[in-house]
Amino acid sequence: MNKKLASLAAGLLATMMLFTSCGGGQKTTDTSKKDVAEVIKATDPTKLPEVSKNRKDTLIVGTTAPSGKFNPIYSDSVYDSWVVSLVFDGLISNDEQGNPTPLIAKEWKISEDGKTYTFTLNKGVKFSDGQELTAEDVAFTFTAICDPSYDGPRTDAVSSLVGYKEYNEDKEGKVKEVAGIKVIDKYTISFTLSEPKAPAIYDFAYGIMPKHVYNFEKGNIKPLKDKFLQPVGAGPYLFKNYKAGQEIVFEKNKNYWRGEPKIANIIMKVTNANTVIQELTTGSVDIDRVASKPEQLDLVKKAEFLDIYSYPANSYGYIGWNLRDEKFKDKKVRQALAYGLNRAGFVQAYFKGLGEVCNAPVSKVSWAYTDEVNKYEYNVEKANKLLDEAGWVKKEDGYRYKDGKKFTIHWMTYTGSKYVEALTPILIENWKQIGVEVIPELMEFGTLAQKVYDEQKFEMYNMAWSLSIDPDPSGIFSIEQDKLGGFNSVGWRNDESEKLIKEGLKETDMNKRKEIYHKWVKLANEELPYLFLTYSKDNYAVSAKVKGARLSPFTDWTYDIHKVELVEVAK
Amino acid sequence: MRQYITRRLLQMIPVLIGVSILIFLIFQAAPGDALTGMVDPKMSYETKQKIRKQLHLDEPAIVQYKYWVTNAIKGNFGESFYFKQPVGKVMNTYIWNSFYLSLASFLLSVLIAIPIGVISATRQYSFLDYFFTVFALIGISMPSFFFGLLLIKWFAVDAHIFPVSGMMTPGSTAVGFAKFKDVMYHMTLPLIVLTLGSVAGLMRYTRSSMLEVIRQDYVRTARAKGLREKVVIYKHALRNALIPVVTIFGMWLPGLFSGAMITEAIFNWPGIGPIELLAVNNRDYPLLMGVNMLLAFLTLLGNLIADVTYALVDPRIRLK
Repeated sequence: MNKKLASLAAGLLATMMLFTSCGGGQKTTDTSKKDVAEVIKATDPTKLPEVSKNRKDTLIVGTTAPSGKFNPIYSDSVYDSWVVSLVFDGLISNDEQGNPTPLIAKEWKISEDGKTYTFTLNKGVKFSDGQELTAEDVAFTFTAICDPSYDGPRTDAVSSLVGYKEYNEDKEGKVKEVAGIKVIDKYTISFTLSEPKAPAIYDFAYGIMPKHVYNFEKGNIKPLKDKFLQPVGAGPYLFKNYKAGQEIVFEKNKNYWRGEPKIANIIMKVTNANTVIQELTTGSVDIDRVASKPEQLDLVKKAEFLDIYSYPANSYGYIGWNLRDEKFKDKKVRQALAYGLNRAGFVQAYFKGLGEVCNAPVSKVSWAYTDEVNKYEYNVEKANKLLDEAGWVKKEDGYRYKDGKKFTIHWMTYTGSKYVEALTPILIENWKQIGVEVIPELMEFGTLAQKVYDEQKFEMYNMAWSLSIDPDPSGIFSIEQDKLGGFNSVGWRNDESEKLIKEGLKETDMNKRKEIYHKWVKLANEELPYLFLTYSKDNYAVSAKVKGARLSPFTDWTYDIHKVELVEVAK
Repeated sequence: MRQYITRRLLQMIPVLIGVSILIFLIFQAAPGDALTGMVDPKMSYETKQKIRKQLHLDEPAIVQYKYWVTNAIKGNFGESFYFKQPVGKVMNTYIWNSFYLSLASFLLSVLIAIPIGVISATRQYSFLDYFFTVFALIGISMPSFFFGLLLIKWFAVDAHIFPVSGMMTPGSTAVGFAKFKDVMYHMTLPLIVLTLGSVAGLMRYTRSSMLEVIRQDYVRTARAKGLREKVVIYKHALRNALIPVVTIFGMWLPGLFSGAMITEAIFNWPGIGPIELLAVNNRDYPLLMGVNMLLAFLTLLGNLIADVTYALVDPRIRLK
């Protein structure tokens, strides 16, 4: 949680960015290998500042201050999860295309009915304290999430396991095990779901905790929480030291089971969006995130010793409209408003080439994405025609009326985002031209979230979704989510959509699943449950002395970190 | 005197209870709770409700207050929703960093403000007086956000004299004097920003108090009996002029622990300021209550200290 990322919709995205390193796709070979990240190489690596040149065995990575929940089942910001992925390894990982790849589990099988996942672990994987990682530790990790006293953000990963409810709701300690988690032998474990769930494989990416370190009595998870700041796992780095709000120091795990890491020390140093460019160009940090602003990226380029990794973020920005509202019930009105907003103009003005217009509720990097959709290019005539057809008549004052009511939209938006500041005047002006009055109302993000999700009292709002790798949209668009507190706050109830979402969730054949989602994307594009706005980019500056970093929409700098090295710079 | 202090300390109890109720209700009145901002399909409504139940967020404000207050009396301020750690532990982690920075800024402000306040007063309407007045005005009106970034540009990026941010060199394991040196090196720029902002008030306060005193009869008498001007000003006048200034010191006590939100954020100083903001944004009631109750207590304590020191330095005042 944490409305705290300085990205496209600043405040918002963050709330959603859980584990960037886990997510969706299916075990498959069908996804074509494409270059997901664009890399602009440093023009003169010799410009590397002395201070950075002299730091030969330490990599410094800039981060927003993590919250200190350094635990695979509690971390809830991207930054905490970086720490977790340095210290812990999970059963599986994923590649740059988002496909699941083996990690501690050397292979896995999914049963015919799609309900049982059986993992075979690599032998000889050791925790940093020397003890071997076995199926018992895996069972412990997932059982901990099922615990009645568990109050973290991973429940979704286990709630569909057979026996979850029985274990979770038993407070007396009579139920000792989760029926769906079965240790078959030391190196084999199976998980059984009550329903087939195609994205479930990504729930097994969470880091495995050693039972002998984290063990606790059922119903009292406190001993585990007490160890947030002494994390022990089987990952490539050892957690050395944490100064809250300042830095986290890591030392390589010499006995890492995939080979000794090449960089001796890693420091995650707290930086902020205001001074990140200064930190980078003075050589204080070697890797850091840079906002999608041309001015900022130009400064990074001018330093000449920084590579820039730029790739589409797995997210999109949108405007949500309350479909329970008479105005928005008519599809023609929604389409008219889409035609009537110069989204391309806004994207150009705001991102200056670092973003694109979005037309569907999936990210461009997802295999579920298809370009064969209506682009709703800015067209005032078409917008006017559609509104006429819908019965909204323009009067002398320039605004449209229907049944004596003026077409006025109350738009709730949140403070602290430049995105909103840039969008507001364009939207008001554009829609005024087609006879629609917009009254914006600014509020703090928490307040907006309450009105939109918990109360559903809104006409229109804007936010952004940061997505997981798997494109399954059921968490946002299923009818089941149309309830107070649910995420289908706009109230999209479309039978065809519901059918496709259900099919997609059950289908384990990748090609068939892809077809289903393409159909669904086209439907959403036609129906416009949201007015889709923008795709933005993520940008990271990486010092030229760092070799082998693999940043992509689905992998962060911690990916295969044991292979990354620091080299002498040369022209 | 002892009786007076005891009485004042006892009076604090009802005041603190009143303050705690007020703060609790104000926080509760803010829309949403700790889970509202978690807009994430992986946190389903059911999961959120379950956690709300665990945290008692589903109960009326008054019941929640009862839980808080019964634990608080036992010295248990609860667990921060956001950090999932005891409130005391979270505060202890950050508050001392704020304290070091604020204390340094306080001392430096006093060292600068009192002498220039005296100079301004003794040479009223002189060039120096106007110069310091303008300086004070600039200091008080300069936004710390802008000034901080400016200093970073000049001293960190262009001149490479000071670091961009942080409290210690990354990965430093220095102890003792080496650590002190490293911290001071990192503290310099935020210290300048904070001090510039606080010198102004104290300096103007000293100046007006001094102006009042040097017009008193006893100062004229001191001059008349032939004492040197320096002795008249620094021995006779200044001592008396500082009496009202002492009250300000007492008020400064909560300020030493409250953290400087903006300056700390710009320089990534790991203080409590940005943590308070985080707690507000995440509706972390236990943490907010913890911080605010500490500040309320320090404010009351500061007032008491101011009253007592006032009595100590000014024999005309008797506390009963």
